[in-house]
Amino acid sequence: MKILKKILLSLAFPALMFLVMLAITASSEKCYVNGHFIFIGKDLINQVLMNSCMTICVALAIWMQLKNGRFDFSGGASMVLAAIAAGYVGKNTGSMWAAFGTALVMGLLLCMLTALVYIIGRVPIIITTIGMTLLYESLTYILFGGEGVRAFYSNPKLCALGRVPGIFLPVGIAMAVFVIYTYFTASGRRAKILANNQSAGVNIGIDERKNTFVSYVFTGIIIGMAAIIYISQNDVTPQSGLSTSSILFSYIVPVFMGTFIGLASNDVIGIAIAAVGMEIMNYGLNCLNLGSGGWQQIIMGVFVLCFYTFSSQSYKINAFLNGLKRKKTA
Amino acid sequence: MKTRMKRAGAMILAGAMAMSCLGSVSASAAEPKKTVIGVAFYNDSSKPTTATKAYLESLADALNVEFKYTVFTQTDESANLTKIQELISAGAEGIIGTIDLGTTAIVEECEAAGVYYAGYLCDFDTSYQTAYEAVYENPYFLGTISDGHNPDDIVLGTQTFESVMEYNERNPENPLTHMAMIIFPDWAYPAQAKQAEQFVEEIEKYNETAETPITVDPIDAESDVIPFTPLDSTYFSKHPDIDAIASFAAGTSFVYPTMVASGVDGDLKLFTTGFEGGEEENFGSAGKGTFQQNVITAIETVTYPLVLLLNQINGVEFADMPETAERIGCDQIIINSDEDLEKFLVNIYNTGDAAGACWTGEDVLKMTAFGNPDATYADLVEAVTNLTLDNM
Repeated sequence: MKILKKILLSLAFPALMFLVMLAITASSEKCYVNGHFIFIGKDLINQVLMNSCMTICVALAIWMQLKNGRFDFSGGASMVLAAIAAGYVGKNTGSMWAAFGTALVMGLLLCMLTALVYIIGRVPIIITTIGMTLLYESLTYILFGGEGVRAFYSNPKLCALGRVPGIFLPVGIAMAVFVIYTYFTASGRRAKILANNQSAGVNIGIDERKNTFVSYVFTGIIIGMAAIIYISQNDVTPQSGLSTSSILFSYIVPVFMGTFIGLASNDVIGIAIAAVGMEIMNYGLNCLNLGSGGWQQIIMGVFVLCFYTFSSQSYKINAFLNGLKRKKTA
Repeated sequence: MKTRMKRAGAMILAGAMAMSCLGSVSASAAEPKKTVIGVAFYNDSSKPTTATKAYLESLADALNVEFKYTVFTQTDESANLTKIQELISAGAEGIIGTIDLGTTAIVEECEAAGVYYAGYLCDFDTSYQTAYEAVYENPYFLGTISDGHNPDDIVLGTQTFESVMEYNERNPENPLTHMAMIIFPDWAYPAQAKQAEQFVEEIEKYNETAETPITVDPIDAESDVIPFTPLDSTYFSKHPDIDAIASFAAGTSFVYPTMVASGVDGDLKLFTTGFEGGEEENFGSAGKGTFQQNVITAIETVTYPLVLLLNQINGVEFADMPETAERIGCDQIIINSDEDLEKFLVNIYNTGDAAGACWTGEDVLKMTAFGNPDATYADLVEAVTNLTLDNM
């Protein structure tokens, strides 16, 4: 019964979002073409799944470091550089698996390098990761031809990991890695202590440097998975001026929403559910011709603000409901 | 003695005459002055940017020029002005720009520094419409060559129509009968709406006598005008029965990725502009055959602003140089068949190898007023405006 309640609560957000968008689109003439209602269709499932999987991977990479008390700006640059490397190798070998392996190895190496610089340099994480972002971005102009990778996504043999159903492999690995690290490793549990009270954690004998390094190793795997999806869906061009941070943080909304939705289950499921819900909303806005430009930003901003306000005030609703319950029992 | 003196005098006179003749020859075909030319591109990594750099570098020795490169932004006027100031500080005596953003301030800055400015791959239409006096009539703005034809001489609608006709002739059993169009917003690219109108007019004319008429969905301002963001996947639900798209907006970057993601790249054909690389795998009869037309401007058109700048820097001018700076349109490279693609793939635009360029440094030197006294502005315009696949 408890599990059923958790499942229902977890699914409530995307289900509600779907119903709201269904009602809005159904009442708009724009969503009928030749008498056909365009919101409901195969494309809805395909687009929501494809976009959600990308969002889940990046959101997990952000959340893994954020959860451990580190705001990492370099994730986007690591992902882009790993994606360029993967695309370059994939196109030259004609093998999707070579691209997959390259993305994984590059994701790992770049995140490990960031961790080493942070640990050895003893520089604040924001400064370290901004510095590493600039370094990795500059490498996108030098390594692997220096021109990025184009049209990898249009080769069916290469881009299967960015399409349904192949995309479930990298996203499945990313979710599994997150769960294993957070819930099944000593390092993951120690990270929780360090995030809550660093001094106490160090005083009871936790090796903070080792813990940080291990968390970056796991983040590297997730970044690698994000990179293979990214190159399988997009042209990837060289980047500069911290533009990769904006790529990274364009996926941050489901992180915060996911932590609230995840109260009914856990944060991984919460992030996945939030990503699906947000993609349903995006698809509905697209059907209404509001999928880009100012209106999309306004609607998205207002919705996110309302959601955060609701989540931060949810304890008051709980108290109110409990009060009602007590009165009823009395 | 007298005779010897006369002989000596005659020899000296002859020598002086010979020297003066040599002097006049060197004045008419002088060594180009060592100079620095700045080039501000609209991006830093694309086929045209890479190819243009390769082409310019191949000319450097013959023209005695050092090139310095920078990248303009498409949104920030003051950032563009800063880029120009940096080039001037780096010693640039002439600058080639590729974006019409902040041009009035840029030209003022150039004038103050005694640096000449000219355009490439850009019609400078905003300046043409709103700041003609400040930009085009400024003696330090020397002119520009557009990315194709000028906005007041639109031909792309007709060219795209012709590409559709050629496709249908090649595929009589499965001709295109229903198309939709995509453009960028009118405030940024007013010419694209006119191109779309021209395309529709040509189709309507064709339909008057056609056995298999072609339907073109009219432009829907909400779904068919893309604000520089990738097409969203619901576009295909909004145009459910089409079998091709004419994208006057850069379809390779903004339309094709969505076609692939939505799985319609095998069903729909795309007629568009630009060539980013990789299109050849699905062009014409290759792969899924999605691309059926790509239109690009030859990168050798940069020769136009380059020659104008070098003339001014070297203190000479064409005898027929117009008094006011001009913007000149040019024919483009239209790739709409396998044969065209085959020719294009060895072009410098695609390979980035200057060995495949139309002109060498010596050729360009002969186009300048200081390298060739007989060179004319009319010849230069004639050379750079006809760089099509057949002429190259």
